[in-house]
Amino acid sequence: MKINSNNGIETMIELIKVSKEYPPDVVALKDLSLSIASGEMFFVIGMSGAGKTTLLKLLCSMEIPSSGLIEISGKPINQLKGSHLAKLRQKIGVAYQDFKLLNDRTTAENVAISMEVSYKKPQIIRKRVRDLLDQLGLSDKHNTITGELSRGEQQRVTLARAIANSPTMILVDEPTGNLDAITTERVMNLLNKCNKGGATVVIATHDDSIYRHTSHRVMELRKGRPHMMTGGIE
Amino acid sequence: MSFWFTVFRQVGRNIRQTWASQLMTLLTVSLSVLIFAFFYLIYANMLTFGEKLGDDLSLIVYLEEEPGPELQQQLTKKITTFDEVEKIRFISRAEAYQRFARQLGQNQDVLNDMPKDFLPPSIEVVPLKNLRSLNQVKLFSAYLSRLPGTLKVQFGQDWVERFYYFTKLLSIIVLLSGTLLILTTIFMVAYTIRLTILGRQAELELLKLVGATNNYIRTPFLLEGLLQGIIGSSVGIISLYALYEWIKLRFSGPVFLNLFEFSFFSPVVSITIICVSILLCTVGSYSTMQKFLRI
Ligand SMILES: Nc1ncnc2c1ncn2[C@@H]1O[C@H](COP(=O)(O)OP(=O)(O)OP(=O)(O)O)[C@@H](O)[C@H]1O
Ligand SMILES: [Mg+2]
Repeated sequence: MKINSNNGIETMIELIKVSKEYPPDVVALKDLSLSIASGEMFFVIGMSGAGKTTLLKLLCSMEIPSSGLIEISGKPINQLKGSHLAKLRQKIGVAYQDFKLLNDRTTAENVAISMEVSYKKPQIIRKRVRDLLDQLGLSDKHNTITGELSRGEQQRVTLARAIANSPTMILVDEPTGNLDAITTERVMNLLNKCNKGGATVVIATHDDSIYRHTSHRVMELRKGRPHMMTGGIE
Repeated sequence: MSFWFTVFRQVGRNIRQTWASQLMTLLTVSLSVLIFAFFYLIYANMLTFGEKLGDDLSLIVYLEEEPGPELQQQLTKKITTFDEVEKIRFISRAEAYQRFARQLGQNQDVLNDMPKDFLPPSIEVVPLKNLRSLNQVKLFSAYLSRLPGTLKVQFGQDWVERFYYFTKLLSIIVLLSGTLLILTTIFMVAYTIRLTILGRQAELELLKLVGATNNYIRTPFLLEGLLQGIIGSSVGIISLYALYEWIKLRFSGPVFLNLFEFSFFSPVVSITIICVSILLCTVGSYSTMQKFLRI
């Protein structure tokens, strides 16, 4: 574990001069250095195409950076392979912007996947799935094929899958894009609950209603560069 | 426990999704096992048959002159330098005559006008009782006919030769069908599993992203190959057994089957064939995974 020298809080995410280019010449992120403490809630905002999704993909090692170093709880993730990488990914819950749901499976099966890969007992999985769907107002969709759900519903299923396995790090991309105010609040309550439970939460969003009054840090990206950082002074 | 639970559920899903091609593979595997085992069964029986024939096989070397004890020793030495033999027996003119007379039985009187030494003296050579020596009989006879004072060498030339070529042909067929078995099982299993993998690209991608280990993703596919092997080869062997029983029942008359004892594989051989097929199927699924499931 790496200890942050100034305040003694463990660092969960550490980025040092990270750049990401997509061929042929799209610069999605440029020289981004960032440190996020364990248990912190962190907002990434910016216009469409600013590089928010790219940043989250780098954090869960779905993409590798073109240059720079990324450490998750002290481990450089781009050198991890095989079962070490798998173990790390089990500890990271990601709600993807494009959902990545298996649209021929039921809601419950989709949520269960993240727990099945770490061999949780079936009865524990069943209980956890019911619990989460309840909190997200999806109890009646338990056995519905996710392909038949509305986008807002699919978005919540994705979120449920991300947090089901109680990960230590939760990455959420646009969690409220398709939701009304009340459902948005439900989602944010759930994320806050996870955060209170000790999870580091990184949220990428355009939705200013969820970060406008927050005391957490908010970073704005512009064309792949950090433009502004607010909050977090406490 | 929950590991195997998830693995078996995944296997079930795979089979449900691609059941048509799974069935095709199963059929191919059992058919190739059946074909191979069929020829191998015939071959194995020919071998035992050959051993039994070898028991009665002997070469008769007819000589010009009755060999004295000294010459007998020399001949014996010459014969054994070519190959070890089971037995060598010298038959004098008189003995040959007596034997012939005994064989004639009631018709002995035809010999009355013949001189007692009209039959040539001979050596009876009984080769070792195995198929190798059966194959060598021809060479052996050629060698014996070159011995000094030899008139002629006799044995069941015709059938020995035919039998030899027949077993030779069979062994080639067994080899070919064995190769066929290896190729079809490995490739068919690899192909179906590839089909499954390509059909669930999205799911496998996602599984990797949520942190599924290699074992988690691969074990179901390995198990699938294993199942194909177990079921396919068992079906093949069982249908061969059914075929065997049917033929035995149908042709239990005085036809060729009664000529020699035709028997089915011993349990050990059956199980070996099944195990090898299982191994082949597993190799097939493993090779596909190496290609398409790199993590
Ligand atoms: N796989 C890719 N190949 C090429 N270019 C890409 C790829 N993914 C993203 N980009 C480019 O990188 C830039 C940043 O994309 P990114 O998805 O991170 O934006 P974003 O901030 O998430 O936008 P949005 O708010 O619309 O989701 C964009 O210009 C995009 O076109
Ligand atoms: Mg995005």
